[in-house]
Amino acid sequence: MKNLSLNKGRPSCLCIFIFVLLLSNQIIANELTFRSYTKQSQQQITGTVSDALGPLPSVTVMIKGTTISTVADEKGNFSITANSTDILVFSFIGYATKEILIGNKISFNIVLVEDSTQLKEVTINAGYYSVKEKERTGSIARITAKDIETQPVTNVLATMQGRMAGVEIIQDSGAPGGAFQIKIRGINSLRADGNEPLYIIDGVPFSSETIGSNQTYNGNPSLTSPLNSINPGDIESIEVLKDADATAIYGSRGANGVVLITTKKGRGEKTTFAVNTFTSYGTVTRMLDLMNTQQYLAMRREAFANDGYTEFPEYAYDVNGTWDQNRYTDWQKELIGGTSEIHNLQASVSGGGSATQYLLSGTYRTETTVMPGDFNYGKGSVHFSMNHRSEDQKFKLQFSSGYTSQKNKQPTVDLASISRTLAPNAPALYTSDGELNWENSTWTNPLGVLKGEFIAKINTLNANAVLSYNFLPELQFKTNLGFTDLSNNESKTEPSTMYDPAYGLTSHDSALYNSLTDRQSWIIEPQLNYRLTLGNSQFDALVGGTFQNQITSRMYQLGSDFSSNALIHDMTSAALTSVALSDETVYRYQAFFARINYNLNKRYIINVTGRRDGSSRFGPGRQFANFGAIGAAWIFSSASFLTNNKILSFGKLRASYGVTGNDQIGDYQFLDTYTSSGGNYQGVNGLQPSRLYNPAFGWESNKKFEIALETGFLNDRLYLTSSYYLNRSSDQLVGIPLPATTGFPSLTANLGATVQNSGLEVTLRTINFQGKDFSWITNINISANRNKLIAFPGLATSTYRNRYVIGQSINIRKVYNYLGMNTNTGIYEFADANGDGVVTASNDLTEIADLTPKYFGGFQNQITYKGLQLDFLFQFVKQKNFGYYPSSPGDFGNQLSNVTQHWQQPGDQAPYQPYTSGDNSDVVGAYFKYSNSDAAIIDASYIRLKNISLMYDLPLPTLNKLKCKLFIQGQNLLTFTSYNNGDPELAYAAYLPPLKLYTAGIQLTF
Amino acid sequence: MKKLKIILYSAIFLSLIGCDSFVEVDSPASQLPGNIVYSDVNTVNAAMADVYAKLRDSGILNGQGLGLSYTLGLYADELTYYATTPNSEFNNTMLGTSPTSASIWTNSYRQVYGANAVLEGIGNSASLPSEVRNQFRGEALFVRAIIHFYLVNLYGNIPYVTTTDYTVNRMVSRMSVESVYENIISDLDEAAILLPEAYITDERVRPNKAAAHALLARVYLYHGNWQQAANEASIVIDNPEYSWDTNLDNIFLRESSTTIWQFKPKLEGLNTNEGSIFIFLTGPPPSVGLSPSFVQSFENGDNRRTHWIKEVTNGANIWYHTYKYKQRSNTGTSQEYSIVLRLAEQYLIRAEARAMQGEIPGAKDDLNRIRNRAGLADTQATTQVEIISALLEERKHELFTEFGHRFFDLKRTGHLDDVLSLTKPGWDHNDMLWPLPDGELLLNPNLQPQNPGY
Repeated sequence: MKNLSLNKGRPSCLCIFIFVLLLSNQIIANELTFRSYTKQSQQQITGTVSDALGPLPSVTVMIKGTTISTVADEKGNFSITANSTDILVFSFIGYATKEILIGNKISFNIVLVEDSTQLKEVTINAGYYSVKEKERTGSIARITAKDIETQPVTNVLATMQGRMAGVEIIQDSGAPGGAFQIKIRGINSLRADGNEPLYIIDGVPFSSETIGSNQTYNGNPSLTSPLNSINPGDIESIEVLKDADATAIYGSRGANGVVLITTKKGRGEKTTFAVNTFTSYGTVTRMLDLMNTQQYLAMRREAFANDGYTEFPEYAYDVNGTWDQNRYTDWQKELIGGTSEIHNLQASVSGGGSATQYLLSGTYRTETTVMPGDFNYGKGSVHFSMNHRSEDQKFKLQFSSGYTSQKNKQPTVDLASISRTLAPNAPALYTSDGELNWENSTWTNPLGVLKGEFIAKINTLNANAVLSYNFLPELQFKTNLGFTDLSNNESKTEPSTMYDPAYGLTSHDSALYNSLTDRQSWIIEPQLNYRLTLGNSQFDALVGGTFQNQITSRMYQLGSDFSSNALIHDMTSAALTSVALSDETVYRYQAFFARINYNLNKRYIINVTGRRDGSSRFGPGRQFANFGAIGAAWIFSSASFLTNNKILSFGKLRASYGVTGNDQIGDYQFLDTYTSSGGNYQGVNGLQPSRLYNPAFGWESNKKFEIALETGFLNDRLYLTSSYYLNRSSDQLVGIPLPATTGFPSLTANLGATVQNSGLEVTLRTINFQGKDFSWITNINISANRNKLIAFPGLATSTYRNRYVIGQSINIRKVYNYLGMNTNTGIYEFADANGDGVVTASNDLTEIADLTPKYFGGFQNQITYKGLQLDFLFQFVKQKNFGYYPSSPGDFGNQLSNVTQHWQQPGDQAPYQPYTSGDNSDVVGAYFKYSNSDAAIIDASYIRLKNISLMYDLPLPTLNKLKCKLFIQGQNLLTFTSYNNGDPELAYAAYLPPLKLYTAGIQLTF
Repeated sequence: MKKLKIILYSAIFLSLIGCDSFVEVDSPASQLPGNIVYSDVNTVNAAMADVYAKLRDSGILNGQGLGLSYTLGLYADELTYYATTPNSEFNNTMLGTSPTSASIWTNSYRQVYGANAVLEGIGNSASLPSEVRNQFRGEALFVRAIIHFYLVNLYGNIPYVTTTDYTVNRMVSRMSVESVYENIISDLDEAAILLPEAYITDERVRPNKAAAHALLARVYLYHGNWQQAANEASIVIDNPEYSWDTNLDNIFLRESSTTIWQFKPKLEGLNTNEGSIFIFLTGPPPSVGLSPSFVQSFENGDNRRTHWIKEVTNGANIWYHTYKYKQRSNTGTSQEYSIVLRLAEQYLIRAEARAMQGEIPGAKDDLNRIRNRAGLADTQATTQVEIISALLEERKHELFTEFGHRFFDLKRTGHLDDVLSLTKPGWDHNDMLWPLPDGELLLNPNLQPQNPGY
């Protein structure tokens, strides 16, 4: 807890804070004694809420115009203190909201009417405040537990894929624990790692910065992501804030959007147990169509003949007779063709009384891989949530915490790449006595690397408490207290047994790499909420402050020389050890924020938000900046000429404009210092310059504009939202890439460049059929983002000159212009743009390939028939990507089977060049140019049945509390694409593609 | 009353935000401000230690797979590649996208930055005693010179970087080979003055005056300044610190009397990277082996053929590996260090320089000293041409797999094409220069044009 203390160097802050706390206590005490404002006609109002079938639990009961509310219990009972002049508002998802004036009654029986078109009545989380879907002025996309429970995935980002307009999610690798990329409305920053959104779990920021280090890198395309520690099963809803109106209150951290994760809370009084368990089987989605042994050996023989060999060289084991020429192994099947088995069990208990509710839930999950060997991923998590409110409803406490423990044991290398390049006649993996076969050192057995292990143990604690007190019905003081602690202990072993015994290595050569990362943060966010209702006007105000402190400590060690390989996981057993890195970085963040919302007649709404932010990531004098936004909405369907319109049931026009920022630059970048390098010479630990020194950098700012139209037709059975946005990021805060002659790869600085993202998002929900037993709902979302570099002063003389083009996307690749094959030589030819007689990377990369998806989206259907519910989601992406070009055909490595179509004699026009064993540098050079030319950019669009789920609610006697649901689910089952170079979704070709999962499970509630 | 309260609460509340100093953080415990580093001899020493550690662990002089002993061994005719993944150094099909080239280039200039940072840091520091300042300045100049020396021989025209200022370094242009040599010689001349006669620590792991002279001898030889090459070599040869050892098995030990400069391994108990990468126990070799044609080129009776090369057999098949360093794994105490400069090369330099100036007897003396130690009779060569040709052959057998001597010798004597085109099917005249990393040309157009053929 030592890190929790407010910094000792800032006594003034601490004093003020304590003073405020004391003062607040004093006032609270006074209030409790005098009850100055409750003395009039305040009374206890009780009642029950029900629908056509009986009591309805969990209905929100709120006093209109205030922030005072309660939730009905399991039997639909509620109790609330209110004045006779107050209006009670009863709302619940899927039901029409009802308002009742209290008058003289003290007891009510309320019947709510089901209305599945009333989604716009839903209250959604906007971070520091919540708004009704109908009245929101910002752009917020949302999914709920209902969408999540149909998916057997382990990463929170996976649950959002294809379901949210403007949110592009790509899976990096199909290996357990693999990361996902997320882009909300395109990429704003020129810095590749500066495009992460802000994640907030129950009000507490959760750093998504990768943990782990390159030295314990496990062969995945990205380092370990902390997001895997969020358990999807514990999530109630995920809201993604996109426009300025929604994100500006997050100021400097809102530029790339905000992902709000709300965990499940306890509801109702009755003790309820729930168990949900499922099992999935996963296999690789798509394999490559590779050469068989005959095709491969024919290629190799021709290659050597082309290169003028009369006999095969000694090391050409595949063709020179050393290896069996008739042997064939499908290496993809052998190395990544296994079945991954996933088991997931979640059990929960919830209950409580009218004042206090709780939820305790535990989840355990295991996953194996599709690669051979004993590798697995395990995740256990506990989630606890408690709500309490005082009898007079004034004081409220909400506490939630989650603890997740993950253990991921994986190979140190992803075998996908080697499985595609191993010669098809390569030797057997094992000798007849079961040992790894090294075939007299003529190959590197791909299973050798599996002797090495990558083990990550990640423990994460998130705890959060929200305390609120209503001094007055209109005025609420609230404090959000949060604490997160993440520790990652990652190790990688390289035992001597990984290698060919010909090296004669022993346990003295075995190595252990260890990376410890510990990240702790606390946050305090005091807030005041004020609500004023005057006639038709409602006025909401919020002021608040943020103090956040994050400490990250890292320690990377390596050890070698063990007396036995059995001791390889123990650093103390290593005779030679050294520390490669140890450091502790502090990130401090402070803000003041405010929101004013004015709602006139439920028709005109204006929302103004602002934030002043300070971040320790900037040098003195540059730490603070202001951000803010204004949003407005006009609910035109409430206009007199449109009320009771038979076709148009809802219409809202909204717009917003504002400025947000970005401080994702890493800590201490403004200091001119030396750091211990871990390099030891003569017993002295080396000191190296930490970075190129530039103290003069500041905030990156992102201006966002959005205009949207939300319309509901035919009693909202058709609900269409269309939005257009235009975002511009300027003062780009980047690591400017520098040539190696400067000694460093980059320099942290602001660039005058401006990047624009503009786009269109359309979501459409239609209720195709709604009856007593049968209903069918369709959700469609489609997004198109255009990225453009608007301005870049000095681009022509900067180090970016060969990467970016003004007026083009920043996600372009500059490639060669492929002209065709020279039919006389069979060699690819490229345009020599500057006419200097040679085709070089510095002058002739003139073609521009934009890899930004043209559009993407999802098409989701939910069909219910009695107890049967079918959900399916098609995800689609229109995009281009590079094809698969592993190495020049003819060398020692397998190729796609269509590489057989190659040039053989003058006059041939073929897709591939003549084969070479690797000696013909003209052919090899042209091959690599081709792989970086416009010819290599091919259509990689796809439509994928991302998710399908069929649930059956067993018809059990209604008297019985027992509810039982059976379900089968599938993930990535079907893919329609013309891309035949691997999986079209995968951004990194050389890695394990996403898996195809078949799932069956059962859900019990009693 | 109510209004008052609202105002009161809000005022208290707003007072919270006045604490702007919250976001000022102390500098981290693991980092030290630059001016403090250069105010104390221990921390300057740590900065210099890091330069040596980087030289040893990355780039040109690294004994692992990306260092020159390995890559130029494959690129020329010393090594054969036996592994099954394509190797563009061995095939002589390097491209501008070559990771090997990028690694050598990037690591080298990173090391140059480290040396320049030391030079500037001690230059700005008033508190260091002058002898300390001289010693570190000499070491840093020596390091800067040796890196540029290898780079100019690999890449041809290169920038000679002498500052840490990125506004200069991001736009540097390539200098002519001639100017690079002028800079190298100037740096080494100054280093030879500044560096102390004796090693500053008890092992020969920090360059001294003799190391600067030894490197100067090589630089002059490559540059064709025969007189100076011979003079510099003589300074080292005549230095009583270095005594000739006729036992071939002693040459590569850590305490060898012929060593001029070597790298201290990272940890006590470790031996050389060269040992672990070149030695294999069973055939065929899992990675690289000495080329059979190279091994066959040794004269009968050459003891280096048996002491510095080891045969590995499997049935009727024979493979060979370098066996200069005999430890391929850890030992309780380190037995071998990676040697960068040694006395035998100085005799060969002087022999060649003498031969070039027509001092045939002196040249033969130096050459025979090497031959006799290997158990060979005096050379049969008599004319200048014969001696120079014999010296090239002698260097091949003495200096093999030591940081690319073979490649550089063939190159500076103009024999690359006629020798390598016989054994290397992929050899092309343009392969005499490596390609600059394409990425560097894209980032700094002043480095254009790319070397011919890439």
